[in-house]
Amino acid sequence: MKRALTLVLLVALAAVLLNAVADLPPHGSPDTPAYTHVGAYYLENGSEETGSENIVTSIILNYRGFDTNGEVTVIVTALMAVIAVLTGVQDTGTQPDAEVIHVAPSVVVRFIVRVLAPFILVFAVYVILNGHVTPGGGFQGGTMLGALAIALTLVLGERESSRLLPQRSLRVIQVIAPLTFVAVGLAGLFIWGDYLFFPRDEKLRGFAEAMLVLIEAGIGIGGAVVFARVFRLMGGRQ
Amino acid sequence: MIDLLWDNLDYAASMVLFCIGLYAVITRNNLIKKFMGLNIMETAIFAFIVALGVVDGGNAPIMGEGAAKPFINPLPQALILTGIVVAVSTTALALSLVIRIWRQCGTIEADELREAE
Repeated sequence: MKRALTLVLLVALAAVLLNAVADLPPHGSPDTPAYTHVGAYYLENGSEETGSENIVTSIILNYRGFDTNGEVTVIVTALMAVIAVLTGVQDTGTQPDAEVIHVAPSVVVRFIVRVLAPFILVFAVYVILNGHVTPGGGFQGGTMLGALAIALTLVLGERESSRLLPQRSLRVIQVIAPLTFVAVGLAGLFIWGDYLFFPRDEKLRGFAEAMLVLIEAGIGIGGAVVFARVFRLMGGRQ
Repeated sequence: MIDLLWDNLDYAASMVLFCIGLYAVITRNNLIKKFMGLNIMETAIFAFIVALGVVDGGNAPIMGEGAAKPFINPLPQALILTGIVVAVSTTALALSLVIRIWRQCGTIEADELREAE
């Protein structure tokens, strides 16, 4: 009954949505309103104005830098919320006594992860540091780093994998993404008078690129640590 | 209507995907499956907005040597990058809440939880 009602509702919804979609400008045409306003301006001037050849990066970190500043704060806030939800609470003991099964990953998995780890690491660092000239950036590379840390956590066992995250500096390092972002923003504030200001002068282009790379590195490391930490917390580790 | 939809096949596909995700959210009882449905809905929206920026024969919006027009609209990609990160954050929080519910109530089926109240 519930399923039939849901189906009726969804078919009605799909009819409305598909009807609306059919009225949109044809897919792939360069005359769509989305393409002819601000997007065209970014494509025209983005490289000169921001010092980043990758226009997506220049939008994320420069034109819409405030948005990204809030976004890196969102990741850290999510980590804080996960910590608050999962730690420091005693189990009330109402859960069924399901047997905890520890299955060690097979030799093949362990070997492959260990062999691939250095290559993944190099590729992740490359993606992070070249985000302003090639496809990539802090979030993408940070995800790879985080995935690497998660894969190693699965393979290495409890004691070794806990060394992946430096316990002593963890408090600083897990909030390093917003910290570097705010630091670079404040540098712009003190030197040029505007928060998150990137110099447009041709002579200072290298400096602007350095600021971009610094932010990307902060986002990459901070994001990776957050992902790895969330995964470990969900597995009942610290 | 069908011709227009065929031209906008990418958009239509994301709308169908959205409805599939909503179906999972409504009908599934397991909380993790509900959140999977939510993630499918999010992915559908991301695919839709990124598809809005596609230009026929367009290149990646990266300037420098050998860059040739037309370029793909970079704005939707930048916006969706933000969206994906926020989606990951909400998913992490949702799954941790599911773990907490499992620890406290011993079940993550929505109807059993309702009875337990």
